[in-house]
Amino acid sequence: MYSPLPDTGLPPNSTPVLEFTNVNFSWPGGAGLQNVSFKIPKGQFVLISGPSGSGKSTLLRLIIRMEEISSGNIYLSGTSISSFYPPELRTHIGFVQQQPTLISGTVRANLLFPFTLQSRKNCTQPDDSTLLQWLQKLALDTISLDAPAQVLSIGQQQRLCFIRAVLTNPEVICLDEPTSALDMESRECVEHAAEELIKQGTSILMVNHTSYHPTCPHMHISVANGTVSVLS
Amino acid sequence: MTEFISISWTQLAIALGLVSISAVASLYYHLKLERDLFIGVIRTFAQLLAMGYLLNILFGLNNAVLVIAVYMVMTFVSVHIVYGRVNERQVAYFAPTTLAVMLSYSLITIIVTKVIIGAEPWWSPQYFIPIGGMVAGNSMNALSLTLERFFSELRTKRNVVEMYLSHGANYKEATEGIFRTSLRAGMIPAINSMMSVGLVSIPGMMTGQILAGADPQEAVRYQIVVMLMVVGSTALASIIVLLLVRKRCFTPAMTLVLTKDHTS
Repeated sequence: MYSPLPDTGLPPNSTPVLEFTNVNFSWPGGAGLQNVSFKIPKGQFVLISGPSGSGKSTLLRLIIRMEEISSGNIYLSGTSISSFYPPELRTHIGFVQQQPTLISGTVRANLLFPFTLQSRKNCTQPDDSTLLQWLQKLALDTISLDAPAQVLSIGQQQRLCFIRAVLTNPEVICLDEPTSALDMESRECVEHAAEELIKQGTSILMVNHTSYHPTCPHMHISVANGTVSVLS
Repeated sequence: MTEFISISWTQLAIALGLVSISAVASLYYHLKLERDLFIGVIRTFAQLLAMGYLLNILFGLNNAVLVIAVYMVMTFVSVHIVYGRVNERQVAYFAPTTLAVMLSYSLITIIVTKVIIGAEPWWSPQYFIPIGGMVAGNSMNALSLTLERFFSELRTKRNVVEMYLSHGANYKEATEGIFRTSLRAGMIPAINSMMSVGLVSIPGMMTGQILAGADPQEAVRYQIVVMLMVVGSTALASIIVLLLVRKRCFTPAMTLVLTKDHTS
């Protein structure tokens, strides 16, 4: 099932940063997502909601090819994601997992590890002052860059994962419940930081269970019973 | 070379009585090991007697093709044993394991017989078969440990592997830590056995040579070669199998093939 596409604010003929066209996905058991089509323009905030197990996380995982579509196509800035070398594709898309996952080592090592990868060998890694600015922005200014990351609370780890995804300046950021372990104040920090990124032209897709309503214009995608509907 | 005492069939039958300790323990404590124990004893007799007769024939014929054929059978059996022990059905690792076994066993066995011992010819059955058997037996255990650890780590650390992949890591970068841990698991037993040898245990090969009347000094030198050979072969077999299997754990889209909790 497919809802008619709403007005995405795209000028005619402009290339959306992300586009699903007739995408189908099925789990080995049979259920999945059916006939998903939508377009997301550059700098768009997209909230994704739906009941547990409906396929919200799967929708995000399809974008970075952590799950493979059965049919249809997904385009990133006009290019089919299947034509990218997978690690190269994932450098264009920031992804924050539902469960915060860190490597052993310091906070600095965790924030900078994406820059040590082969796919980012030509990227300049941010300096300490940039890292500290981000920590401050997300109310983590009491944490030293040299502190071991594994001992941080789940909420702190979740924000660290958010910063790690943002630091690489991706065109699209997929956030899978990035504020699930956060108190109200920390949640607002993440939401505010996300809205700031929208102003700079980044597109964000956020799976969210809270009653968050972004202050910036946004799209709302609902996932239920294998159907993806664009609501606003 | 001193005289050695030959073991008669009667003496062998008396030795069989020692197994009764295990049998009584199994019956008394309801361990349900009687069947395994019975099959184990029968197989020990059958397999070793067959091997003895085969070696007699091989030594008599002194034929390279036959020696290599026996060696191939030994290596294929070891591949099957590894395959049975690891019991992972979501990744096709039979062919990589066979290749790792063939390459590492052959290379190490030939180096030992030709270069180190200097047997003439290098396939001389008296040296090639026992040396090959020891390489196969020890490497087989190392391969099982390496593969078991690799698959189980990939499952338990799935989140970490996916985190690496989602940030643009390739499959090698995403499994660097797991590769290292698995390789260590395969290599450590052989390295540890070097620590205790001669202090806690007198290894089987050396014991056999001494019982057969060989000079202990000669037996020791052979045993040192064997220990070093085992360390080398376990490392080589584990490295080759991991390099070949690692890629098969990922799809062309570079996602993990293994699901969370399915081993078969």
